[in-house]
Formats: sequence, C-alpha cells, structure tokens
Amino acid sequence: MSSMEHVDHILIVDDDREIRELLSSYLKKNGLRATGVADGRQMRTFLETNAVDLIVLDVMMPGDDGLVLCRELRAGRHKAIPILMLTARSDEMDRIIGLEMGADDYLAKPFAARELLARVKAVLRRTRMLPPNLQISEAGQMLAFGDWRLDTVGRHLLDRQGTAITLSGAEYRLLRVFIDHPQRVLSRDQLLNLTQGRDADLFDRSIDLLVSRLRQRLGDDAREPTYIKTVRSEGYVLSTPVEILEPRP
Amino acid sequence: MRGGNPIRLLTWPSTLRARIFFILLVGLAVAYGLSFGVLYLERYMSAKAVMLGTLEKDVATSIAVLDRLPANERENFIDWLGRGSYRFVLGEGLKGVPDTSPRSAEIVARIEEAVGHRFPLRVEAIPGDVMRLQVHLTLSDGSPLTIDITPRGVMPVADWLPYVFLLQMVLLVLCAWLAVRQTIRPLGTLAAAADALDPRRPGPALSETGPSEVAHAARAFNAMRERIAHYLEERVQILAAISHDLQTPITRMRLRADLADDSPEKDKLVSDLSEVERLVQEGIAYARSSHGNGEKASRIDLSSFIDSIAYDYLDTGKAVTVLGAVQGTIVTKPHALRRILTNFIDNALKFAGSAEIGVERRDGCVVIMVLDRGPGVPEDRLEAAMQPFFRLEPSRNRETGGTGLGLAIAQQLAATIGGSVRIYNRVDGGLVAEVTLR
Repeated sequence: MSSMEHVDHILIVDDDREIRELLSSYLKKNGLRATGVADGRQMRTFLETNAVDLIVLDVMMPGDDGLVLCRELRAGRHKAIPILMLTARSDEMDRIIGLEMGADDYLAKPFAARELLARVKAVLRRTRMLPPNLQISEAGQMLAFGDWRLDTVGRHLLDRQGTAITLSGAEYRLLRVFIDHPQRVLSRDQLLNLTQGRDADLFDRSIDLLVSRLRQRLGDDAREPTYIKTVRSEGYVLSTPVEILEPRP
Repeated sequence: MRGGNPIRLLTWPSTLRARIFFILLVGLAVAYGLSFGVLYLERYMSAKAVMLGTLEKDVATSIAVLDRLPANERENFIDWLGRGSYRFVLGEGLKGVPDTSPRSAEIVARIEEAVGHRFPLRVEAIPGDVMRLQVHLTLSDGSPLTIDITPRGVMPVADWLPYVFLLQMVLLVLCAWLAVRQTIRPLGTLAAAADALDPRRPGPALSETGPSEVAHAARAFNAMRERIAHYLEERVQILAAISHDLQTPITRMRLRADLADDSPEKDKLVSDLSEVERLVQEGIAYARSSHGNGEKASRIDLSSFIDSIAYDYLDTGKAVTVLGAVQGTIVTKPHALRRILTNFIDNALKFAGSAEIGVERRDGCVVIMVLDRGPGVPEDRLEAAMQPFFRLEPSRNRETGGTGLGLAIAQQLAATIGGSVRIYNRVDGGLVAEVTLR
C-alpha cells in the first residue's frame, strides 16, 4: 500500500488556528506531512483534490462539529480514511460516543504532542493491516461468537443471560484482535504488535498471560479450550466464527 | 409577647399534633363543662325554691286540715294529703335518732316556719340506705302525727343524660382530631416532599391544592425546588464553560512546550499545565457527578468487574491486588462504580503506594473495599475528608495533594447509584475506603 517514498499525509481539522499550526509543525518535525483546515467546508474542499492518510478531527467546532463530520466521512466515499478524534472531555461517555460515530481512536484535549504522534502511528499501523471497514470490531457494535456476545461500545462481554463480563483494557484489545481475525492463527509477535495500541510503552504483560486471563473470562479450560486454542510453536487462534449482530450506525 | 410558659408542671407533649389536640380538647371540654355546670346550678336553685316553697305551704295546709278533721275522718284523707317526697302517718311513727344534717335542718326550719308556732316539732332521722326523716308533732286533740319525709334529689337527673354527655364528648374529640388532621397533614406532606427533594430528577411537583395557606406553601416549595435545580444546572454549565474555554489555551501551551527544546523550564511548564488540566477535569467531574451522567444500570459479573480494574492498574505497573473473590452479579451503573473505585485506588496508591481490593456481602448489600497501608486519616478529620477540596496536608503539595475532589466525587457518584461511601482507619494501620451497594 505504501511505497518507500510515501510520506503519510495527516489532515488536521480544528477551528483554532494556533493549535492547527502547532500540530502541523510538530508532525512535520516528526517526518509526516500535515495540513490544517479550519472547518468542515474546508475539509471537504481539501479532500476533493488531495489524498489523505488520516484525519485528526476536533469534536468541538462551530458549525458542523466533529461528530457530524465523522458520520459524514464514514457515510461518503472517504470512509476508508482513519479518523482520530480530539475531544474536549475525557469522560467515558464521550469516548463511547466518539467510537460509536466510527472514529478509530480518540484523544482528550489537552494532550501531549508525543501522545498524539503515537496514536496517529498506531491507527495507521492498525488500519494498514486491515482497512477500517473490514475490521469486524469496527463494523459491528454487537458481535457474536460461540455462546458469547461482545459489546464493542460498552467494551464488555455478554453471557447468555445478558450479564456483562467486564474486561480490562488489555484483555479487550487482545480479544478485539482475535475477533478481527477469526479462525486465523496469529503468532505471539503478531498479537503483540496488533494489541499494542496507544499504550505501547505501558503495556508489558506477555501475550501468554493475557491469553490465559482472557480464557478465564470466556470460561475456557486451558487444557481443552473451546475459543482460543493454542497452536503449537505457531501461536493462538480464535476457533469460532464471528457474526455481526448489530452493525454500527 | 408573653414571657415563658408558666405551666411547667405538666409534661408538654412533643408533637404539634398532640399539642393542638390537647389545647383544643381541654379548651372545649372546660368551656362545655362550665356551661353545663352553670345550667345545672341555675336549675338546681329554681327547682329547690319551687320545691321548698310549695312544701312549707302544702304541709301547713295539710296539718291544718288534719287538725280540723274529726279523728275518725283523718284516716280517709291521709293518703290524699301525701306528696311524692312526703306522706302523713297517724301515730308515733318509727323510732329514729336525733338528726343533725344541715339539709334536714333546712327542711325542718321551713316546716317549722309554716306550722311550728302552732305545733311544736321533733325531728328524727331513720337510719337506712336513703335519707329519711320523720317529723313528729301533736295535733290539737292530742293525737300524734308523723310526717314521713323521703327527700328526693332536688333535681333528678334523667337516665339518658349521661349518654348525651358522652356523645357530646365523643363529638368534641372527633372534631378536635379532624381539625388537627387538617392542620398537620399538609405539614407532613411538605416535610416528606422536602425529604424526597432531588432537584436533579424531575419528580412530581407538590400538589398545589387545598386551603389557600397550604396551596401557598406548596407553590413556594415548588418554586424553591425549581430554583435549586436551576442553580445546580447553572453550576455545571459554568464549570463546563470554564473547562472548555481553558482547554484551548492549555492545549496551545502544551503543544508549544512540546515543540520547544528540552530544558528544566519546559519540564516545569509541562508539569504545571498537567496540574491545571487535572484540576479542570476533576472540577467538571465533580460538577457532573452530582448530576448523574445518564448512564443506564446493567447487570454485571462482580468478580470480572473487580479483576478488570485491578488488571488495568497492574498492566501499568501499579501494585493493585484483589483479595479473594465474591461470585455473583450486581445491577449497577458500571462506569460510575468504576470511577468510585478508581478514585479510592488512586488515593491509596498516592498515600501508600499499593492497594488491595476486597469484596464482601454484608446484610444483603455488596460492599467493595479498597484497603491500604498508608498513614490513614486522623479520626477527627475522617468526616472532613469527604468534603470537596479537602487535603490532608495543609501545604497543598501537588505531588501528594491532588485536587481534593476524589472522595467527594466518589460520594456523589455513590448517591446516584443508590450506594454510600465510608472511610475508616484500619486497626493495624492504613485506611479503608468502602462503597456499599444496595
């Protein structure tokens, strides 16, 4: 997809001129291309004539706000462009709303520039492996596999009785990777690479430990697991198919 | 203004209901008793006057008639001359004892006044259940005559009168009770409404019907409730506006610092900015926590919920462990509960460096505890620690002080999920922060 000379082009949509300029220069300093636009109108015009690899979208903007623009992008012909949302509030609720609208990740203002760069790179890496709309966990807000349902909005499992089984952040990320690659053997390296998102520096648990925790959540027996099976000297595989029960709006 | 209550001998009832009831009942009963008494007295006087007046004349006439009649004729008339309370008997009559009671003296005095100057009288009381007098005299022909007097009550009370009296008392009690109820009930309703007052949730307004004073109080109460709701709303909006308007300049400063070359000044700036940022976020979180955030309750698996929190800390290198596990599910708002527990854990990590999470069922409630081995909180400041902006150390040290909103937020959130928050010191050192979920 990307040639050796390709430099990722990031479009920054934010109504604050200074933030746009500061972000652009920081990203440029770190080897990316960056363009800033002030609102939805300018964004649409720019996208007419330019290829963009990722859009950094501010939520709080006069006129069409970030959520409206995100929905519009996802519905139109630019739906493949990954989106990183900048939200004013770091509340859980807002994060959920952002993800529901189809953003690939979010970041609460104010943020450290380094953090933004890490997220941008993580989202790019993730979407390169699978385009955003081919990712099952992106396409559905309620997924089913075996006896379980996964609520990608609430980020928890639901058992047959509808009781929510809460997952830790790392467990959820790992399960999401398995869900996105059902019935495909994934090596530990692949799993580590795909699981490490934004918290790459914070996350240092070994994949084996995480898998055993996840099996515990799924009620899987480690000797004879039904869901996540061990493939000797290769890695792990989610043995059941995944079905989308409710697509994202 | 009257000074003090002079009657302190009676124990004054503590409830308004009892007091008003007491005043009304005693007042009415005294007034009623007085008028009854006056009426009785007046009737007694007039009846007595009539009775005694006729007695003396009748007796005098009868004695005169008997005196004139030939002795053999007297027998035929004797029954005609008797009245309800006395009769004439020819002969010596019964043997009695000398009488001394003032009442008989009065009766005798009357008779004596009427006839005594002609016939000397001798009075004797006949012992027995009822009062009975015999007046002995000698007629002019020497034959003895006895007046046998059985004085009836001057005013005989009818049999039905006590019932009427009782009925009236019952009526009085009933009226007093009704009046008290009328007065007290709106007060109770008002108190209950004030107790249940939750301006965050638009509950049913207090009914503005009833007597005009009650309707007025209800209207005033409803208006007050709206004002409180408005103030709360305003508080959240102000905090949200401040936080939003601060966020843009903070973001700019943050980015500018990030773009600058590394220097101690830059690090200080970044850390100051983080402090401002945290304060703003906690402030808005506190403002929102009282409001509830519209989260819906759902059934969650308790042990996986607790584990996930501990793992999230463990995965970032923080020492948070789970003590034992409680199986089962609870219905709650998971994000709110998570925030409560992470606030507890953040405090424990800040003061003790590590935290333990314990869960137990106590009297049908689920209690989740966060325990640490830190310095604890002085006993006399445990209550104050739940207040917003409370800091244990006066220095407001940024490293350990935090914003002082963590526990206040936890408490407000606990209220929105129908739980309660408590902190207490461990016997062997350290602090326990626990949330009880009903």
